[in-house]
Amino acid sequence: MQEATFLILTALASGSQHGYGIITDVFGISDGQVKLRAGTLYAALDRLSAEGLVEIDREEIVDSRLRRYYRLTDAGRERLAEEAARAQSNARVALMRLDSISGTAGG
Amino acid sequence: MSDRSLLERRYRRLLACYPRAFRREHEAEMLVVLLACARDGRRRPGLADSADLLWNALRLRLRLTASRSVPSVFWGVRLMVLAAVFELVSMGTVIATERGVRAAVVRHFPRLDAAHVTAAVHGQVVSVEIGAPIAAAMWLLLAWANDRGHRWARAGAVALFVLTSISLLGAAGQHAAAYALADLLTGVGLCVVALAAMLLIIATGVRPQPGIARSVGCDQCRSASRRGDDRAPGSEPCLPSKTCRSGCVK
Repeated sequence: MQEATFLILTALASGSQHGYGIITDVFGISDGQVKLRAGTLYAALDRLSAEGLVEIDREEIVDSRLRRYYRLTDAGRERLAEEAARAQSNARVALMRLDSISGTAGG
Repeated sequence: MSDRSLLERRYRRLLACYPRAFRREHEAEMLVVLLACARDGRRRPGLADSADLLWNALRLRLRLTASRSVPSVFWGVRLMVLAAVFELVSMGTVIATERGVRAAVVRHFPRLDAAHVTAAVHGQVVSVEIGAPIAAAMWLLLAWANDRGHRWARAGAVALFVLTSISLLGAAGQHAAAYALADLLTGVGLCVVALAAMLLIIATGVRPQPGIARSVGCDQCRSASRRGDDRAPGSEPCLPSKTCRSGCVK
């Protein structure tokens, strides 16, 4: 799973959000590293809805403009949990190995 | 005209590059996001935003959408992409073996004039250099069109397979096996891939075009197409199993 996709699903994990909300949230989650652009975001949302991982939660009209909120589906929640567990286990191994090398070097 | 509405008009022009179904579904909310992200006083879309929009529009237009639930189309389309690759590989083989083929022909027909043989072999190579990229482009076009369920593309696959076979048989008829074995073998590989792709595509029942599917599809197809999802017919599983004429598969 690409990083942008992972971060979009993560942004939606705590509740439904509209497009601009997702962009600012992803910017925050990634510590300012990932700045999603509209083309990338909506191509991803379109693909994720087709795969059944996200769905439209509700629509509002604000200042006569459409604001559409997206939320994770159960399948999306499951998929994100799997990906997060995988990333966590990979990161743990990486940190452990780095630790053991610096431990050897230090001792 | 205010800066804002000028900017909006320019964004709309960029969004016009997207496929119609995608625009119907997302254009309004994308505009909101694009305008929300733009600094005040901005009159033109930023370069990075424009590039991102155009790049994703291109990807959406080219993206293969046939679902695995229709395996013959799914794999047939992929074999056509492979056939395009094979065309280029066989062109590379022909170019790389030109010298060897010339030597073999001279050995094979000792009475022929060497300059004449060189010209004849080079002529063949040039015709492949022109024909193969065109054929590869045709395979890619047919892959895309079959993926979208266009009926003419099924006939196109048959026609291109026949042309490919004729050119292979032509090469075999010129004793290619004797002096251009590598070229002939990549040609055979190409024909096998093309044959498999064609058989898979024509084995598929008539796949309805999205416009037709909307009117005959089951409820779920129709609700999916109302959402602007062109991939619904033939791809999304439907609830009333096996009853949908649109070809959605349960």
